[in-house]
Amino acid sequence: MQAFAMGTLRIGAMLALALSASACGSPPPLDKQLEAVSSWTATMQLARDEHGSGAITTTYATQLRDAALAALEESKQTIGQAAHSKTDSSYAAAALDSLRTAIRALNAETGS
Amino acid sequence: MKKWSEVALGVITSIGGFLEVGSIATSTQGGAEFGYRLAWVLVLGTLSLALLMEMTGRLAAVSKRTYVDLLRERFGYRFFLLPLVAVFLVSFLVLASEIGGVSIALQMATGINFAWWAIPVALLGWVLLWRGTFGIVEKGTALLGLVALVFAVGALKLHPAWPAVGHGMLPSLPSDNRARYWYLAVSILGASISPYLYLFYSAGALEDGWTMEHLGVNRVTAGLGNVFGGGLAVAALIAAALVLAPREIKVDRYEQIAMVLASPLGRAGFVLFLATLCITCFGSTLEIVLALAYLLAQGFGWSWSENLKPEKDARFATVYTVLILLAAVPIAIGANPLTLTNVSMVATAASLPVTVIPLLALMNDGDILMKHVNGWASNVALVVIALLSVALLVAALPLQLLGG
Repeated sequence: MQAFAMGTLRIGAMLALALSASACGSPPPLDKQLEAVSSWTATMQLARDEHGSGAITTTYATQLRDAALAALEESKQTIGQAAHSKTDSSYAAAALDSLRTAIRALNAETGS
Repeated sequence: MKKWSEVALGVITSIGGFLEVGSIATSTQGGAEFGYRLAWVLVLGTLSLALLMEMTGRLAAVSKRTYVDLLRERFGYRFFLLPLVAVFLVSFLVLASEIGGVSIALQMATGINFAWWAIPVALLGWVLLWRGTFGIVEKGTALLGLVALVFAVGALKLHPAWPAVGHGMLPSLPSDNRARYWYLAVSILGASISPYLYLFYSAGALEDGWTMEHLGVNRVTAGLGNVFGGGLAVAALIAAALVLAPREIKVDRYEQIAMVLASPLGRAGFVLFLATLCITCFGSTLEIVLALAYLLAQGFGWSWSENLKPEKDARFATVYTVLILLAAVPIAIGANPLTLTNVSMVATAASLPVTVIPLLALMNDGDILMKHVNGWASNVALVVIALLSVALLVAALPLQLLGG
């Protein structure tokens, strides 16, 4: 039981180190970043629809918009580092544009 | 008649107390990214938890000692320090996540940033613990937690294809993104089989004065309560699979999760989602901080009971007072509640062997359990859970790096 205890303790310590290390790595690859941007674009579109039907409050829709704006800012900083060709860059620019458009549409819906 | 009311209350308490920040976050993340494919993990986690709760409840009812007492007595202090430290650390992380869940629900309702809510939430929890009894803390919050049934209503309103849901109950692998799939599977298991749940249940059995006459109540409460509660987690996964997955929305922030009920149920669904997140996370906050206080008090042989006045078990009361306030700090300084939840669920899954493997020895100890020792079927199930817990410990580290 003592050996089991020591072994488990070592693995636990390694896990704790890995958990902290995984929080501060290099930017994710382009496809992951594009997925994240497109996920926020879809979130904005859904929020606009649900706000239009009265399902969600303006307070909540505004928070979603702020979260999307934060994601947009973060992506603008990191997506360029992950785009290694002209095609990559044009995909990235199109994705960011779509998100900007979706945010503007939600702003128009909520009147902010 | 009294027995039946105890059974009914126990089952209702288990259902109302099942969903919490981890199960809501991981079920909806799983549904959004992999549709019904991770439903089998919820089934596995729920059945494992039901078995572990039945066994720790049986231990307490027969021996009149909690699982923590028996861990220390049977294996000695040196070994006991390992589960003590492991469970303490991961449960503290989960506690902070639960406070984060309440705070984010209040942020969504009011627009005031979640960080401002952490300390008031902790103080309200402390007042309830200081002034309340075990019955109020456990049953009061769990009864209010029945609001979580709204997930079942939302899932039914979305008209899922039941054969596909049934297919999701069987293990299957996606063609790509396997690291992420297994990372979410480990997170879901961590959320389903948190050690604090069965440590709290075991201490609760003594708080409620269980004897051998309660073995039937224990079996039904642990079995039915968890099966119905697990059903709510499956409902959350179904709702996310039908609202978020078709639009390719991934859950990066808690704010996105409210859509899974706003979409099928309109404003009522939105409001009830906020109520569910707030109440269930608050109930879990109280349960975890009590479980931690029980762990330390039972481990060091202090006097303990939530039914005693704080001056009668001062060290026990001091522990929950300090811990609930300390756990509010990460949220109060702005830690992302969803990231904290995901990390704490994986860490919880990795900590399972230190509480599951010793149970195998205790459940077969005739000096403790007499004729109520495990039968062969329970032992096979417990060995499977123990193997699963070791697999989770080994897999947690690489999966956190690859899929987290």
